[in-house]
Amino acid sequence: MAAPTAIAALSAPDYSPGDQMLLTVTYSDTDTKPLTVTIVVTDAQGNSSAPVKVTAVIDPLTLTVNDDSGRTWTRVSDNGSVAVYRAVA
Amino acid sequence: MPRVTVQVRDAAGHTATATANYALSQPVLGGYYLSGGADPTADMAGGNFRSLTQYRSFADGYTFPGYNRPWLINLGRAGVQMNMVLELKHYGAPNAGPQSFTVDGTSYTVPGPSMTIQQRPGTTWPKAYGYGQVLNGQCDGLFHRALAQYRTLGFGVNIQLASELDTDHEFGTTEGSRAYTWAESDARAVQAMNYILTWFKARTLPAGTTFSIGLGGFDRACFQRTHPEALMSRLDFLQWNTYATNANDTALARFRRTKDWGVADLGPVALSRPVIIAEWGVRSAEIPNQPAWIATVPAAVAKLNAERGPRIVRTNYFNSGWGTLSPKAAGLAALRAAYATRPYV
Repeated sequence: MAAPTAIAALSAPDYSPGDQMLLTVTYSDTDTKPLTVTIVVTDAQGNSSAPVKVTAVIDPLTLTVNDDSGRTWTRVSDNGSVAVYRAVA
Repeated sequence: MPRVTVQVRDAAGHTATATANYALSQPVLGGYYLSGGADPTADMAGGNFRSLTQYRSFADGYTFPGYNRPWLINLGRAGVQMNMVLELKHYGAPNAGPQSFTVDGTSYTVPGPSMTIQQRPGTTWPKAYGYGQVLNGQCDGLFHRALAQYRTLGFGVNIQLASELDTDHEFGTTEGSRAYTWAESDARAVQAMNYILTWFKARTLPAGTTFSIGLGGFDRACFQRTHPEALMSRLDFLQWNTYATNANDTALARFRRTKDWGVADLGPVALSRPVIIAEWGVRSAEIPNQPAWIATVPAAVAKLNAERGPRIVRTNYFNSGWGTLSPKAAGLAALRAAYATRPYV
């Protein structure tokens, strides 16, 4: 399995007290693949159900954010390759 | 410096780590200047005033703290950050001629100022020690005298060389019998500022001493000419002044004008320096409601500081000339309210 990659970028190099801070994490892993599984149930008589689709991710990634000053970062969005977190300076 | 660490982990336990550092800025220092260099203690009392601009001529025998200005020492000891504007400009009689004095056992005779500046047609042109005089070492005694007094203050200050070089040079300068254009004057001033910086930096200075040069900031080409990287590498701050003199002037537009020029025109060293607004003011003739305009300043400064480019760290209201607060009580109340607001707290 391949190793994931991650890039972290802040919205500014420094902040004044009370400023909104945004952290954008761009991440990926070549093994991570979204896929869709289509299920059809067939009985002994050959009757088939209507197809049901479910989605799954192979080798999903988990993302953690830690701030050594103890500041709490809250996830604003995450589309599977770009996640945005927010904190207050 | 705080650091955010991001870790991405896949199902097999492979990880990737990325970090980003950030700095938390101190609040912007709200500051003041009172007309005539008068004692501002009463006006500042009880308000979040943490910065002060003062003007002294190198010609004056009393630069630090200044003649009859013991209050400056009290304010400095109380933590008010001093922006001391030291000018080659001569403020007029007395001592318009040569001066002889002794500093730390060294005797000096400094010739009278040989340059004219602020040569606006129809006005009397002020005198100043010439850039040539500085470069020839003729003003070393003035620097020594100022330094000797500075060492007794008990705290470090920012020394801003010149008040507004653009105002000084706008109509050219004359030294001896030779006339210099605006651009020539700028180039000569950069040499002279370098000389003065070299003189001071070669000597023991009080802890916390910083340096800047003074510009009104109203002329883009002049601002660029007077901020070469070689000079900026020896300076700690950028500086300009900000006035509203038109009914349509917004705080954001006025504070940002010189910043935008700087960001476009100056090099990375200059742009790494924080900004002192040594003077800001709103002229009541065009904008009678000074308090309303002052109330918009905190948000404007916060917005500018959230943008790319140098950060404004001190803003000193100029309660004199164009900035005269009228009526004073209402203006001061507005200043107090503004300085009690983010980004000043």
